[in-house]
Amino acid sequence: MPRSIRSATAARAAVFAPLVAAGRAELVEQRLTNAIELGLLSHGERLPSESEMARQFGVATVTAREALEALREKGLVETRRGRDGGSFVTADGEFDLVLERRLRELSRVELRDMGAYYSAIAAMAAELAADRATSDDIDQLDRAIDQVDVESEVSTRRGEGTFRLEIAALSQSARLVREELRLQGEFAPLLWICLREQGQRDTSRAAHRAVVEAISDMNGELARRRTVAHIADAIEWLLDAKAELEQ
Amino acid sequence: MTAVDDCVSAVRDTFGAVFAHVDEWRARFEGAIAAAGGRISSAEIDALTESLVVGGLGIPGAIVIGAGFVAAPRFLSDTDWHLAWWLGKSNTFGVGSSTPGIRRLEAVEDERAESFRDYTNLEWWRVPARTGSRHITGPYVDYLCTDDYTLTLTVPARHGADMVGIVGADLYVTDIERMLLPWVRAIGQKATIVNSAGRVVVSTDPHRATGSLLRLDGIDAETLECGDTGLSLVLDRS
Repeated sequence: MPRSIRSATAARAAVFAPLVAAGRAELVEQRLTNAIELGLLSHGERLPSESEMARQFGVATVTAREALEALREKGLVETRRGRDGGSFVTADGEFDLVLERRLRELSRVELRDMGAYYSAIAAMAAELAADRATSDDIDQLDRAIDQVDVESEVSTRRGEGTFRLEIAALSQSARLVREELRLQGEFAPLLWICLREQGQRDTSRAAHRAVVEAISDMNGELARRRTVAHIADAIEWLLDAKAELEQ
Repeated sequence: MTAVDDCVSAVRDTFGAVFAHVDEWRARFEGAIAAAGGRISSAEIDALTESLVVGGLGIPGAIVIGAGFVAAPRFLSDTDWHLAWWLGKSNTFGVGSSTPGIRRLEAVEDERAESFRDYTNLEWWRVPARTGSRHITGPYVDYLCTDDYTLTLTVPARHGADMVGIVGADLYVTDIERMLLPWVRAIGQKATIVNSAGRVVVSTDPHRATGSLLRLDGIDAETLECGDTGLSLVLDRS
């Protein structure tokens, strides 16, 4: 009884928590950090202006400014004044270091939590997809897997994102798709560091094929379990990598 | 006219009206491309798309929430991949919490980018490219242009024998449900509109979820095609 009262109170407090720019600036910062880590934004590349960035992200200019400040502090961006001024990406070849730092910063508890949350979204999507995918949809998934070049880290990473997104779309839930996209922006670069290794890339392909097989058999339960297992493996790999870094 | 006929007509007319616009745009695109001898730039396509679709997107209560031209790979003179696509006011894609206006879709057209998608694999491109005729894709979650539950109507555009792109329009499934539900309800028995893959668009039975597949084995039902929309009306006999 007291317990339920407490949780209801907490939930109510969350409802009325102020809608400040805090958190939003962090999301913008995270999105840009991920893009730099992945090499989507490369050294010397000019970022959009504060106001342009604010418009694109749908946030206030002050929020975009705050995010840029944080990136400057991390040494990922530098701002030059003058006619050819603007904010430029400065992290050349530092992606590994940035990811390693994040891996050190996050505790084991946080890493496992990330896995639990992401599994909840990805596995539910797979379960629903098994009920809602047509044979044409399944052919598309097979094709998406075939198109990935597992010899290449970039191709496999991109394939991982595409595959999860396709599965989320097949769930027919717009909210699951939006959440999948948001989570990919938030932790995909970190979660799939394991794809640097050839063995892990092969495992990834096999795991995707196994999920599609379950979906094709309309076995939602199995599609769910296989998705959870694949993400759990990635988390265990991260925990090992973290332990090694900290030795 | 029975309520069943009325419902079939309503489905045909609802989508027919949108296809009429799309076909008109297609004729304009094909005319401009022919006049340019088949060589046209992305800027020219953008200007034409904007002039054609923006008016319609601005009408209050318009059901079209996005429309435009998507070029065949390597057809345009200055770029390999190109989406000239405009989004309507009710389309909240990518705007966060700010109020959306009519705007251009910012698509990733660089093949090397991580988030680049080869759109020729997607149903709204694939099917009209294969059949050469109009197609309704969805209900599906469109993560490229709306981030929402969508129906996309597309037709191929041609120059001579070549398919040079598709012309299309997006609709929210929610709007279609609101428009068609009174017609299916008026039939007075369990009735469901499904797409060509058997995916439920709208049903009198609230437990037949939109987007789920209506598996007809074990159901005693009559299926009526709704014109050339690819959609059908399924009437349960029991």
